[in-house]
Amino acid sequence: MIEIRFHGRGGQGAVTASRIIAIAAYEEGQYSQAIPMYGTERRGAPLTAFVRIDDQRVRERELVHNPDISVVLDPLIAKQQAVVDNLKAGGLVLLNTQDEPEDVKLGGDFKVATVDATTIALETLGRPITNTAILGAFAKVTGLIKVESIEKALKKTFPGRLGEMNIAAVKRSYEEVKGPVQATVKEAPEVKADIHVGGYGVLKDVSSWRVFTPEIDEDKCIGCKNCWIFCPETAIEWNEETKKPSIRYNACKGCGVCANECPVNAIEMVRVEA
Amino acid sequence: MSYEVMVGNKAAATAVKLAKVQVASAFPITPQTTITQYLSEMHANAEWDFDFVNVEGELSSQVVVQGASRVGARTFTCTSGPGLLYMHHPMQTTGSGRLPVVMAVVHRGYKGMQPDHSDLMSQQWTGWSHWYVEHAQEILDSILMAYKVAEDPRVRIPVAVGYDGYVLSYTAEPVEIPDQALVDEWLPPNKPIPSILPDEVDPETFSRGWGGGDPQMPWKIHHEAILGIEDVLKETMDSFEKTFGRRYGNGMIEPYMMEDADCAIIAMGTIAGTCKAAVEKMQKEGKKVGLIKLRSFIPFPEKDLTEWAKKLDGIAVVDRSICPGKGGPAYGKLKSVLYEMEDKPKMLQFHAGLGGKEVRTHDFEMIGDKILKAAKGEKVDPVTWV
Repeated sequence: MIEIRFHGRGGQGAVTASRIIAIAAYEEGQYSQAIPMYGTERRGAPLTAFVRIDDQRVRERELVHNPDISVVLDPLIAKQQAVVDNLKAGGLVLLNTQDEPEDVKLGGDFKVATVDATTIALETLGRPITNTAILGAFAKVTGLIKVESIEKALKKTFPGRLGEMNIAAVKRSYEEVKGPVQATVKEAPEVKADIHVGGYGVLKDVSSWRVFTPEIDEDKCIGCKNCWIFCPETAIEWNEETKKPSIRYNACKGCGVCANECPVNAIEMVRVEA
Repeated sequence: MSYEVMVGNKAAATAVKLAKVQVASAFPITPQTTITQYLSEMHANAEWDFDFVNVEGELSSQVVVQGASRVGARTFTCTSGPGLLYMHHPMQTTGSGRLPVVMAVVHRGYKGMQPDHSDLMSQQWTGWSHWYVEHAQEILDSILMAYKVAEDPRVRIPVAVGYDGYVLSYTAEPVEIPDQALVDEWLPPNKPIPSILPDEVDPETFSRGWGGGDPQMPWKIHHEAILGIEDVLKETMDSFEKTFGRRYGNGMIEPYMMEDADCAIIAMGTIAGTCKAAVEKMQKEGKKVGLIKLRSFIPFPEKDLTEWAKKLDGIAVVDRSICPGKGGPAYGKLKSVLYEMEDKPKMLQFHAGLGGKEVRTHDFEMIGDKILKAAKGEKVDPVTWV
């Protein structure tokens, strides 16, 4: 039995990716099971999903605790050592990052492959939904499933133009994935963040959720307060003296509502370097 | 026959479509919600001729299917946890009216949203038949069988098919979809009982109309009608296998690797699947433990389990629900069933999976080890919280 763990954020399509792999595996005559871990997930919050592939009906209902493969859909989560926690020795981690596999700082006995799925998604789909932009890479580096089966599963799940766009993302990631190579760092770094707990609003720091960061151009700002009214996270503060807004970045999850509501385009969404 | 990788809730909606249900009504509640979404979509696409009634709450959804069932329609509703509690009152009337409603109960606990069996277990007095199923294929198959059993003129009792929320409702796995023609042949349209009006005095229902008679009589008839499900369910399982090629034990229980087992673990729902994997591992290691999956909790498989108990040295009962201050329902029931036996097996009580707590393969190995020890006469705690 092959067990796979997905790490991502709400909105990146980890659950869909896990189902596409389950469908593709079944297309090839294997039994499969795709388990989403549902809790209080929502757009931006870290989440996990799991897949089992076996030659008989999968009976186990527990979550996957010792995966053979870990797939990370988010470039900031990809920096956390937790994505390789309990990975089987000699296992494989596939990361969405601009880094070369040799430069990945995760430590332990496993192989590393990398692909810049965010850029692929932005260029083929126009949105940072990285799930399909990592599936082509998955097919290539794991050899578990043919890329054609993934395309077939995608056509079933997204008929029409949407399917075609996603297949383009799959094909590109199949070409562009780098690795796998043996992890260069042997010992696991000690500092660990709990990526299974999503922070929220004023209580916790959600700055790692952002793919895009809003930046305010004070010269363009007319002080209409629209951004301050519409921010769903109350991450925008209002300075009554200057009549200008400012952003509390630890509370901003990068949803872009402020930029969308600004009548004079004084807020620009800038892609986060990862 | 076709296949699809689908989540548990889609398997339920697919069964509703195959059964050509005429009236469905439900109020969305996590983790049942996507059943209502699939049904709404099927209705919008006019996939078959049925009414889907959107309501403002679960009490209404139960009353809608009750009314539709009274006038002879094949009906379906579904809910979870607190939604089921909200249905509690009309559920009594559905049971008492001998209305063959079928309901999917997608388990959601009361202490938090994660699944345990407390929702359906708390409805034991409503006069329904309660089944617990393990995987997506079994959901589809069991809902079809539920109509066959519920609508049987010998039964006429509503059936609740329970399955764990999240871990099954939202987990995708391959499901075999039987051909519509086969289902049509195996499950002909519902034939309503002759007198369908609620105000008619009718000895065939036990909701009302016992004017002047023994007020206790409706309860006796209701109780006996539910006990009668056992034979009909077993017969239905046989004919289901003949037509569709799949079976789940005898319908009441599904023994797994019990051929040379000295001890049995009794479990219900999804955790029985995990237990199967554990039992396989233990038997490879020479430990003689098998699984008896409890499919029908009401009626309770008294005869089958008594027969098994005669051959066993120990039985571990794993309850995924608890009546606080009273204990696990399956353990308590089985213990009372076996009271009359001469040479009783050892019994241990395990509380597991409550509040959605994950039950892992190694948990079942621990349970297996404990019951083997107890069967040998070693001292083991009678109650374990896994």
